[in-house]
Amino acid sequence: MSRVVIAKTGLDGHWRGTLLVSRALRDAGFEVIMLGMARGEDIVSAAVDEDADLVGLNVGGRVEVVERILDDLAVAAPGVPVFVGGVVPPWVRRRLEARGVEVYPPGSKLEAIVAAARRLTRGSPPPSARPDEPPQDRNE
Amino acid sequence: MTDERRTASGIPVKGHYGPDDVPPSAREALAAGPGRAPFLRGAYEGMYRTKPWRIFQLSGFGNPADERERLLFLLRQGEGGIIMEHDRNTADHLYNVDHPEVVARREDVGLTGAVIIGVRDYETILEGIPIEDIYTHPGGAVVQHAPFALACFWTVAKRRGIDLRRLAGTGQSDFFLTYVGCITKQQIPPHAGLRLNGDITEFCLDHLPRWVPVSIAGYNGADSGLSAPDELATVFATAVEYLDALAERGRYEPQELSHKVGGVNFRVGMDFFEDIAKLRAARKMWAELLERRYGIRDEKARQLRIHVVTAGSALTYQQPFNNIARGTIMALASVLGGVQSLGVACYDEALSIPSEHAHQMSVRIQQILQHETGIDAVADPLGGSYYLEALTSELEARAWESFDEIQQQGGFVEALDSGWLHRRAARRQSEQWDEVESNTRLIVGINCHEIDETPFEIDGFQGTTDAWDQAMARLAEVRSSRDGAAARRALRELERVCRSNENIMVPMMQATDADVTLGEIGDVFRDVWGDWEPPIRP
Repeated sequence: MSRVVIAKTGLDGHWRGTLLVSRALRDAGFEVIMLGMARGEDIVSAAVDEDADLVGLNVGGRVEVVERILDDLAVAAPGVPVFVGGVVPPWVRRRLEARGVEVYPPGSKLEAIVAAARRLTRGSPPPSARPDEPPQDRNE
Repeated sequence: MTDERRTASGIPVKGHYGPDDVPPSAREALAAGPGRAPFLRGAYEGMYRTKPWRIFQLSGFGNPADERERLLFLLRQGEGGIIMEHDRNTADHLYNVDHPEVVARREDVGLTGAVIIGVRDYETILEGIPIEDIYTHPGGAVVQHAPFALACFWTVAKRRGIDLRRLAGTGQSDFFLTYVGCITKQQIPPHAGLRLNGDITEFCLDHLPRWVPVSIAGYNGADSGLSAPDELATVFATAVEYLDALAERGRYEPQELSHKVGGVNFRVGMDFFEDIAKLRAARKMWAELLERRYGIRDEKARQLRIHVVTAGSALTYQQPFNNIARGTIMALASVLGGVQSLGVACYDEALSIPSEHAHQMSVRIQQILQHETGIDAVADPLGGSYYLEALTSELEARAWESFDEIQQQGGFVEALDSGWLHRRAARRQSEQWDEVESNTRLIVGINCHEIDETPFEIDGFQGTTDAWDQAMARLAEVRSSRDGAAARRALRELERVCRSNENIMVPMMQATDADVTLGEIGDVFRDVWGDWEPPIRP
């Protein structure tokens, strides 16, 4: 059974999204470790200690906080994929996608999130990935 | 496809309605007219002819100077009052900016509200703003933060020589935001919150006759999943809990208290008629509840005043300008339901905190309704509609059933503490989202009329990026320049009163005036009351 750590990076306590996603993943057969609002160091140690196959970050804050966690995870738990949901404005989304993190903004379907979790825990690339086309910034 | 239709809360809806669908109780309530109990048709006789609804938007981000600038902008746009929104990391948690939980997320600081260390920051924000003439919500939406936020604002007034009796505004200290909708990492338990809200209410009765001490905000329950009947039921279940606790203290009678507790908030979402019906039912339920439960006959004591915030959860990340249309529709429903004040969630809600432009649009939507449509001319213009009256009555009946269920749980605080309320909200939220995923409920841009690329993309407001650094500098400045002995004395007195039955607002006013900081108040509260364990399980 694949293990997914779900955490909120910020101190904003809106819990609707993480609960919906956690339950959908659990119903789809994942073992979900729900950390709630957690500091970067706690997310990293949970990913290691729980031997996570995937980390899901719910973001309600700044991209710099997320990036610090991604950097720390890359060192402590290399190869463990991360996906992100929450209030992620388009420019942040592009920045995270550029480093290979999949982003599921508000309105994303749970079936798409579950499918992503299955794919990411199997280690396959996203179906939409176009290897010869890097993500485009449409404002450029 | 089936022809069966239901409202958002699941009430079956027929294809058309006639006179037989209006129950006798509704006819009686209709006959009373607006401004008369049970207030089905409006809180005031003249409604918007005598008093237009107040345009009342949430705002705040970054440094105190940023918040001041945005408040002045909104006032220039024609806002009728100010709502100061504070940083969730610090304010909601009563953490100073050097708390380890905050340092770990320092870049987040100031993103969701202005960072306030103490009364000096309030002075910066309010500089040049004539607070004696402006209806103000000075923050303190979250329960443990409210006494400090209110005391800071009132202290600014006192320092300016303004008699507190002149100030008009509202507190919030809302159990729905704090314990249901947006649960903080650390929070004093609900029983302590109940005591603080009682202290604020009595302090206002003693010193601030024009102030609404606390405002029960059904919005935060509804946006977490509670249905319209549950929103009505839980708001009034909270209100009776407040009234019972205050009556037990023995200083004021329920009749003196009910008007103070009767300034409440509801969410209006996209089910147009159901939410109009909800606001009408709310007034009637409150008037009848106060008479039945406390024997209050006085009409003014039973008059419910309603603030609405349109549903943030109804707004989409996809094709964000569609949210201007949604905001307009929800604002229209709110006005047809007879609100006293209204905040329209901004079109960039799903992306960021509001940009100036998004804020301006939320104000303009309301001004267009006020000036161009004529809907302000007649009170309760839809009153007497067969459908609306049938729906209002049905909603009321279901809300009373839900109210009784909550009482069977041991009352609102028990239902909250046990997680019963959260489970109920989560179940419905999940059902609603299932309807979207299975396309039985359509949302433009989500499961129909989607587009991959939008020519009208917006990036979301980015706010200020130096709020944490600036706040660290202000914190050091406050610590070094204040009278340290006075601050320590004030904190000791606050702690003593927290452990007694005296009103904490008295030492809280002294503490804010002595430049005590947010985090120091939090340390006292945590020492005295400890932490609440949220009953949410995956």
